[in-house]
Amino acid sequence: MSEVRQPARGAPRSYTRQVLVEVLSRWGARLGLAWIAVLIVLAVFAPFLANSRPLLAATASGLVTPLIADLTAVDVTLLVVFFASLALLPLRLRVRSKLGILAGVIVLTAVAGQALLTPSQIVVHQQYREAEATGEYRWAIYPPIPYSPKDYLRDFGDTGLEPPLAASGRSHWFGTDKHGADVLSRMIHASRIALGIGLVATGIALGIGVIIGGLMGYFAGVVDILGMRLVEIFEAIPLLFLLLTFVAFFGRSLYLMMVIIGITSWPGYARYIRAEFLKLRQQEFVQAAIACGLPLHSVLFRHMLPNGLAPLLVTASFGVASAILAETTLSFLGLGLVDDPSWGQMLNQAVQSSTFNWWMAAFPGGAIFLTVFGYNLVGEALRDAVDPYLKKAAA
Amino acid sequence: MVPTLVGITVVVFAIMAASPGGISSQALVEGQNLEPQAKKALMEYYNRRYGLDDPPPIQYLRWLNNVSPIGFTFNEANEISGFSLLKGSDLGESFRYGRPVAGLLADRVPITLLLNLLSLPLIYVIAISIGVRAATQRGQAFDVGSSVIMLALWSVPTMLTGVLLIGFFASDQYWHWFPTAGLSEREALDMPFLPHWGSAHDVLILFAGVAGGVVLALLLSRRGGRALRSVTLALLGGWAGYLMSAQLPGADWQAAPLLLPALGAAVLGGIGLLEYPGLRDAAIASIGLVTGILAVTPLMEEAFVRGFLLDRLWHLALPVICLSYSGFAFLSRLTRSAVLENLLSDYARTARAKGAPESLVLWRHVFRNSLLPLITVAATLLPGLLMGSVIVESIFSIDGMGKLAVEAVKDRDSELVLSITLISGLLNLAGYLIADLAYALADPRVSYE
Repeated sequence: MSEVRQPARGAPRSYTRQVLVEVLSRWGARLGLAWIAVLIVLAVFAPFLANSRPLLAATASGLVTPLIADLTAVDVTLLVVFFASLALLPLRLRVRSKLGILAGVIVLTAVAGQALLTPSQIVVHQQYREAEATGEYRWAIYPPIPYSPKDYLRDFGDTGLEPPLAASGRSHWFGTDKHGADVLSRMIHASRIALGIGLVATGIALGIGVIIGGLMGYFAGVVDILGMRLVEIFEAIPLLFLLLTFVAFFGRSLYLMMVIIGITSWPGYARYIRAEFLKLRQQEFVQAAIACGLPLHSVLFRHMLPNGLAPLLVTASFGVASAILAETTLSFLGLGLVDDPSWGQMLNQAVQSSTFNWWMAAFPGGAIFLTVFGYNLVGEALRDAVDPYLKKAAA
Repeated sequence: MVPTLVGITVVVFAIMAASPGGISSQALVEGQNLEPQAKKALMEYYNRRYGLDDPPPIQYLRWLNNVSPIGFTFNEANEISGFSLLKGSDLGESFRYGRPVAGLLADRVPITLLLNLLSLPLIYVIAISIGVRAATQRGQAFDVGSSVIMLALWSVPTMLTGVLLIGFFASDQYWHWFPTAGLSEREALDMPFLPHWGSAHDVLILFAGVAGGVVLALLLSRRGGRALRSVTLALLGGWAGYLMSAQLPGADWQAAPLLLPALGAAVLGGIGLLEYPGLRDAAIASIGLVTGILAVTPLMEEAFVRGFLLDRLWHLALPVICLSYSGFAFLSRLTRSAVLENLLSDYARTARAKGAPESLVLWRHVFRNSLLPLITVAATLLPGLLMGSVIVESIFSIDGMGKLAVEAVKDRDSELVLSITLISGLLNLAGYLIADLAYALADPRVSYE
């Protein structure tokens, strides 16, 4: 049998591809992914969608671009990563090398952005509107929503909570919050925090869970018993109480919150990977890898992990949803970020001193719901796609 | 179980020990306004309790000794004086309230438990009634519809529901049907426990209203055809929507008189279209009950005292709805997959083959086996409920453990935070234990020899 069969059309596709096709054939998953894609676009282009600074303005001394001049390193990194991933997607490269290139791009742009960009530290948001009113700008092109998330409309006097489209002279499609900032603008910028926390926190949890769970499953025995006790300890404390305790003693910042949500939600992944690895460790290919004298990390991550990866994605997808919920819950309880926009914090303003501001509930709450629902739909579709039992039952 | 508990304390203490600042500096910052003697007393209290000049492991052991009900006792000079089985656990003292933490928790924990224990049966009844039906009708309209609705409900954040419920049904701007805050009204504390009516005449009228409403509703649900049912209910819903729009105080919703009747008609008409007799009976009977009570209320005299019990239930209605919906949404999907798996199993086929009626196969054979994953999940449901009560208690201003936790965290009241985390871990472990015991009851194959 020396002939090599060329893969014909309809030949068995790789497992990952099979799962991917199966997931994309479901309406729920398509809708969920579509919403997540919309959020990603909103998050990446947030400064161009909602900003008090004009995109382009003509002064007596020529054209100025206040918006582009004030872009921060984070803005630029997001933009570059977005276009880099779009460009990498059609290339025929291995996933590993694509991820490597992306990581390089992220580090490079972040460092270069920190070094080269000089956004103004203190922004007086109304200066651009005043400049146009006084005639300093002959004309100016504004983003679709001409209000920054932290633009409290100081030049319009004592502004506060206003229902959508109530104010004359300004158009706030989703109303304004208690400080007078535009809700839609804050929501667009908050999508960055929601997506970022969801992905990074889940990534951290996944990393810790895979390492601890993998070691537990691979070594079994004493390591397994000790590890399971650790998992039980972390599972026995309700997640929110643990988060509250962390927040109480460590203060609040976006990155800290990502880490905290990450290190409090790993036990589920560890449990899962442990079960998978316990099944795998006696199989021939693993035994062969060990017999070849491969180092431990190679056996664990190159040989065993890919076999347990697809089901792990299901858990991760639900995990992103719950990480987003955790962040919004903390912000809702007033324990989140202080000044930065967050959906939960806006939702918190919906019922204040016994008046009910429906626009503060409906729009940010709706955004949280849609995002969580989207991730759950994707998770559901993934689970159906990787679960062999359900597939058999459906056939 | 005990090792896990000790582990929880290690985690909690480690968080506190690793925190920047620590306890003593916090006490100094918070004690700025204190008298010098009081400040000194506070510092001494901390030194005695935590031994802040000792290395962290010793500090931890000291704290553990303070918290555990059995342990060593110390004399005045802070040396071990003996071992006692009855020394009782000292959870420390709260800054904010200036009271022992144990007393605070004894006040607050029962309230949270009341909320959770009211939600649990509700969650199970709804989840099982929907999940079993969805499994038996796999792929049909009810299954698809309920699956999508349950997944959506599961994704609705509790804060959103809470805010919407309190905004629409408890605030003055819309319908002020429920109280906005607390667990009981001030005057309810002086009322008798059970409701009282002015005269026997009133009780009779109320009874007639309730009975009439329910009987008519059940007749409609059982005897009426599908078309008759849904048209009647849709008319009722439209009328209810009209009444609701008439109750609106504000004039900022011009569309309400059109929108609300349409919405009411759609929701109630949809219930009429349900082909699931059990759920439909329950829904229509409760609609009949409410309609009956509302219809006879104007006929009764004024001397009605609602009593402590009804007042408490009235306050608990919205929080319990808020706390339970995501639980039953999650559980009903689990019930569906568990029942489905067992319905396709060999023993179910055998039972059918020997001629057992389908209802017997379902409830005697399949359901009993499907209960096992549901019991396992009960253990994980409890942490969810505890977390939910943090949010619900904050929204509805109920003085339970969850609200206490948030307040303690905001004030960095370290002893309180540590104790609450400990207690919630303890409650969780108790939940696991109960689930394990229930598991052994439901499945005779399991034994804990």
